[in-house]
Formats: sequence, structure tokens, C-alpha cells
Amino acid sequence: MKKLIFFLSFVALILFSSYTVYEKEITISNIKLKSATTNSLVSLSDYKNAKGFVIVFSCNKCPMAKFYSQRLNQMNAKYKKLGVPVLAINSMDTLAYAEESFKLMQKKAKKEQFSFPYLQDKKQKIAKEFNATHTPQAFVIWKNKLGNFTIRYQGAIDDNAGEPEKIKHHFLTDAIDELLEGKNVTIPKSESFGCRIFFRGQPQKMN
Amino acid sequence: MKKDLQLITLVFLISIGVQAQYNTMPMPEALYGTTFNLNIHESTKQLVTGNQTITGAINNESIWGPTLFINKGDLVHMNVTNNLNESTTVHWHGMHLPSVMDGGPHQVIPAGTLWQPYWTVMNQATTLWYHPHLHETTQAQMTKGLGGFIIVKDPQEAALALPRTYGVDDIVLALTSRSYTPTTNTFVSSTRVYGDYMLSNGTPNAQISLPKQCVRMRILNAEIERAYNLGFSDNRTFYIIGNDGGLLNAPVAVTRVKLLVGERIEIMVNLGGDTVGSSLDLKAYNSGQTLGFPGGEPNTSGDFGSLLNNIDFNVLHINVAATTTATTPITSVPTALATNTYWTATDATVTRSIAVTNGNPGPASVPFNFDNVTYSLNMTPKVVNLNDVEKWTVTNNNVFGHSFHLHDVEFKIVARNGSASAVGTHESGWKDTFYLPRNESVTFVAKFDDFADSDVNHPYMYHCHFGGHEDGGMMGQFIVTGTMATNQNPTNTNFSLYPNPANDRLFVNLKDTATEIYYVTISTITGRVVMMLPQPEWQNGIDISSLEAGVYTFQMMDKQSKSVTTKKFIKK
Repeated sequence: MKKLIFFLSFVALILFSSYTVYEKEITISNIKLKSATTNSLVSLSDYKNAKGFVIVFSCNKCPMAKFYSQRLNQMNAKYKKLGVPVLAINSMDTLAYAEESFKLMQKKAKKEQFSFPYLQDKKQKIAKEFNATHTPQAFVIWKNKLGNFTIRYQGAIDDNAGEPEKIKHHFLTDAIDELLEGKNVTIPKSESFGCRIFFRGQPQKMN
Repeated sequence: MKKDLQLITLVFLISIGVQAQYNTMPMPEALYGTTFNLNIHESTKQLVTGNQTITGAINNESIWGPTLFINKGDLVHMNVTNNLNESTTVHWHGMHLPSVMDGGPHQVIPAGTLWQPYWTVMNQATTLWYHPHLHETTQAQMTKGLGGFIIVKDPQEAALALPRTYGVDDIVLALTSRSYTPTTNTFVSSTRVYGDYMLSNGTPNAQISLPKQCVRMRILNAEIERAYNLGFSDNRTFYIIGNDGGLLNAPVAVTRVKLLVGERIEIMVNLGGDTVGSSLDLKAYNSGQTLGFPGGEPNTSGDFGSLLNNIDFNVLHINVAATTTATTPITSVPTALATNTYWTATDATVTRSIAVTNGNPGPASVPFNFDNVTYSLNMTPKVVNLNDVEKWTVTNNNVFGHSFHLHDVEFKIVARNGSASAVGTHESGWKDTFYLPRNESVTFVAKFDDFADSDVNHPYMYHCHFGGHEDGGMMGQFIVTGTMATNQNPTNTNFSLYPNPANDRLFVNLKDTATEIYYVTISTITGRVVMMLPQPEWQNGIDISSLEAGVYTFQMMDKQSKSVTTKKFIKK
């Protein structure tokens, strides 16, 4: 029995490690969504000179996402000029959550003076394309040699939501800085957590 | 003089050092009245260094929920709004109320929905609590910290010389332990049942200042599985004055008391002989317990391991402060408290036996259950006749201890292993939850009075209160049926709504006035449930002022046939 368990865990280990090694590079097609910040459609192709984008899945009511409004404004102010604008996307199911309506997104964008587009992914297609699971969850997509955007960083924005002064790892901005310098991202993936994004038609189950 | 200064500095530094390791434990906000608005949501709290921990909270708390003070005899209304991202339920643990108001696994409140149960408080003065009870999700939602205390008041209790200034000489204390995922600091759920770190009212390394006099502590084990063998660090005697269902007839003097998941005790401890500025600890003396005591396992990691397993650890650091002046201090424990008349084994006309089954480790393992049946929402309920006095014996000839909880009524434990004298003096009052150790049976007697709804859609539950065990199916259900003659003629359940469009109140016009409205569910035209109204008080109209303008469906379930009729209305 013990031997069997050992063998099974060994198989699982091989399967798991091979999965991580051969994980497919995800290419992001053009995103075109309505922004609650400006009440107009925004697409990746609007940004002709973009080297990449910071994509942050966020939402109106998640307490973890709420901590980051100001930090996203600061990031957009710094990196938009450098060709890496911030786009926030709300992929929450508006049928299940009245608080995630476009109207309330507009209210939030205005109240917190978003300098970046706050996009509604009403059909939850973009979240599925990114395999986004939580809010807030950050991605950096970067233009490759073929001119396509691929995911180069995914995970947390940093390691301290509530006390920005105590942050030790700035995962997201470190990734952008490295990409801007033409380097590979040292930490391409970190654990994202916060509020779960539930997809319509899929059963709810916590954690 | 110099020496004095040095000494003072030293004492000062030591006191800072000692103080620094403790966090002051807050009392949850107290809510009074007859209408309670409870907003259930996710929140965050700084529990360890680094990231805030994502928590479940109610109203203004950052973890856990407010304490609801209610009076026996009052009609109380609950406006429960689920602002989580997911479904939940709210069960009023220990409350004697109709099953449709009970908040068990059948009363699912979808995200964004308002649930409005109400009932007349029939319990006597005691400490109850409320918590999520969504099947297969209870452990996860309890781990996040959702729940709160309910304190029931009545004239008999009020006439006694007992401490009752909330947060001063009368405190609530919810005991839990948690582990944290590295970096994200989220609570570890599902993989481990015992936490590594103690949280007292959601506070790590908790301390409180209590006055130099008799104080009352209402203690709840709000854990996932861990049991607590509570006592004070100087082994002083303290007095149990109440069990789950209310005050005991007389205080019981102890130096240790075991408290299993879901159980409450009210204790009084005399700090009158302590020096102001001195301190003592309330501790869990959990080392060296018999096999099957939850949290007695030797391992410190893995599924059933924890840094707190099989050791003695601090639960609450108590700093003795000056005697109260604003309220009269209580200086002694009353000798008599209540005049409960308990059921005896001979009162019972119906006997039932329940056995703990399965749960043995092994490849073909089925999780713990009762009588070899794993719980499902539509399993056949036990049927109890209204006003019957029943004797239930729960037998655990199995591998581990459990905590058994019965909904609807408070009961009297009459025997352990068939012996009346083996029932602990600490559990001699009204109970709704008890320790069911390994290789033991517990017999209790209950009268199932007042609520006979014969409602298979909303049965009452009995279950192991370990979050993982109830989620795994260690649960059963029962309904209470009345003997009253029912009208067998099918009623015409048709109705109309007016005015339509409606503003703030919506009125129901029943075609057949004999129809009794049992349940109303209001949904948006897209199907999102926005209001759940068990047995609504519809005669003066239904308050729909919280709804946004739009078209809604109004589903009415009638009491007799439990059939559903749907109408539409417009909210202006």
C-alpha cells in the first residue's frame, strides 16, 4: 500500500512538473470592451505605441481589490508614458451580483478618480481567456516579435494589500521594469487571491 | 533614588515587553431592539505580519459579527443581506423557532439576496449564536470567521445579582484557531481541521482588562474541530452558571471544563481577591487527553496536525483592573439561579437510536455519517409528532470523538453509556450540543413542541458540528408534524398583486381567503433572487422599497399544498 502511494505521488509529480514545463504560452487576442471610466469602447489596438499592458482583474465590492485603486492610478501615471498602460477589467457576473453593474462601476471610477479604463467583461470571455480566478489579479501582456501580446506575468500586484509602506515584493512593477529593460521576468507567476470570480453556469464552490 | 529610577525603568520595560505580545480583544458591536439588519460580506483583518487576511464579517466587524441582544417574548425581525460572492445560509443555533426560519442547509440565500425571517423569542435567557450552515460549504465559511453571538434576556435572569454590563463585567468569547497560507496570509481551509494559532473573538494573542470583582464570561467553541479543556492558570475555582439553553438551577464549581464545537457555557469567575494590575490566563489544558479528544492528536503538521495539538496554550490573558464604579460590582456567585424542570427518561414516549458510522481511514473510506447514510438535502426525514417527548441515544463505537447538535429544541442529557450518574455536572442544564466521545453513548430527552409545519422543504437538522464532518454528510434531518385536521380540499391558490406598478408596498389579493402564504420569493426578470420571505406578514403589504425599478416575478408557495404560483409585477 505504502509503495503504491509512493508510486502514485511520483506519477503525480512527473505529470505536474511536465505540466508546468510545457505550459502553453497564451496569446491574447484584441480586447474590446466598454470602459466605465469614459463610457466608451476601448481596445488594445487603440494604443498604437504600446509595448505591453498591465491588465488587472478587479471589481466593485471585493475588499482586497479596494485597497489597490490608488496604486493602480500611480502605476498608470508612471508606465503609460513608457508604453505600458493599465487596463482594469471587471468580469464579475452581473446577474449574480447586483453590485457589479456598469452603473456602479461608473460610480466607482468617478469616486476613486480612475486614470485608467475600467472595462466591463460582461460575457466573462476575457477572464476565461486569461484564466483569471480572483480579484485583484494582475497580468502583464507584452508584444512579442510577431506583434502578438503574450502573458509574461500573472499573479498578485504586490505582497501587502493593506499596508503599502510595508511591501517587500512589488511583483507587478518589478515584472514591468524587467520587461522594459528587455530582460526576462524573474518571478513570472505569484499566487493571486482575493475574491473568487465565479463563472455563470459553473457551480459555486469555495476554495 | 538612582536605583529606584533604574528599577522603575526596568519594570516599565518589562511591562512594555509583556504588553507588546498581547492584542486587546474587542467586544463585537452590540445590537439591541427587535429589528436587526445583518450585512454579510467579505472583509480583511491584519492578523499576521504582511498581507491582511481575507475574512468573513457581518456589519461593521472585520471578522465575525455583532452580538444581538433580544428579549424573551419579543417578535424579532431579521433583515439578512448576503453580500458575499457566493450563496450562504444563517442558522440561529439553539433558537426555538419554525423550521422555515431556522436557516439550515435548505434556506440558501443567493449572493445579493435579502432574507427576512422573523419569530417570537421563546428561549429563556441564554447565550446562543448564529452561523452559516450551507451544506458542503460550512467549514469554508466558518473558517472565514462568519458568525456572531445572540444574548437572550428574560425577567428571571434580570432579577438575579449577575454581572451583565456587556464588555465590562459580562463578556463574550468565541474560541477558534487558524493557520495561514504563506505570503497570501489567507486562512487555510479544507486541508487542515486544526489551526496553528489561537484567535479569541478573532484576535491573536488576546488580552482583556476585567474589573476586580465577579465577572461573567459567555464562552463559545466556534471551532472547526478542536475541543477546549478550559481552566485558569492558577487553577482557581470558577462557576458554571449556564449551559447552551440557559441558566442552571445552581452554579457548578469547577477548575476545568471541556467545551466542544458549537457548545456554549456561561461561567462566573471571582477576581475580587486579585490585585489590580495583576494578571492571569484562561488556558486550554489540552495536553494528555484521552484518544479521540479533538485536538489531542500528537502531530504538529498534516491533515490532523497543529502546533496547538496536545499542548496547554493561552486562550485569553486577563489583566485585573479597578473595581467598577459606574455599575454595582457583583461580589459573589448566587447560590440559586433558576428553577428548570427537566425531562426525565421516563417522560419519553418515543425512543430513537442513532449510531456513528464509517469514517474509518482506508482506501474505500466513506466519510463519517449516521446509520450508514450520508446526508443529502432530499434524504427522508425522521418524523416527530408535535408535543411528543422523545429519548434519543447517540452511540459512538467508532474511531474518534464528535460534537452532536440538534436543531429546534433544547434537551436534557439523561445518561452517558446508559448511566445517569455519568452525566457531567457541567452539562446538567438545557443543552443543544454535546461531546460524544469515542466508545460512548449519550442519551437525551427532548419535547418537540410549538412548531409543526410538516415541512419537508425546510426540515430541522441533527448533525456533528465539526465543519468537515457535517459537510461530509454526518447529518440527518427531521420534521415535526401536527395532529390537527387539515383541510383536504385543494384550495385555489390564485392571487393578484396590487397596485401594479407598485411603489414601496405591494399587496396580495388571494382568490381563496383560506389560502395561507407560506413563502414568497421575489426575483428579477432575469432570474436573480432578490428577496426571500418565509411566512411573510403580507396583510399590510410587503415592503419592496429596497428594490430597484423594474419587472419582477413574485412566487407564492401556499402552506397546505406547498405548490408555487407565480405572478409578475412592476416596481416604479
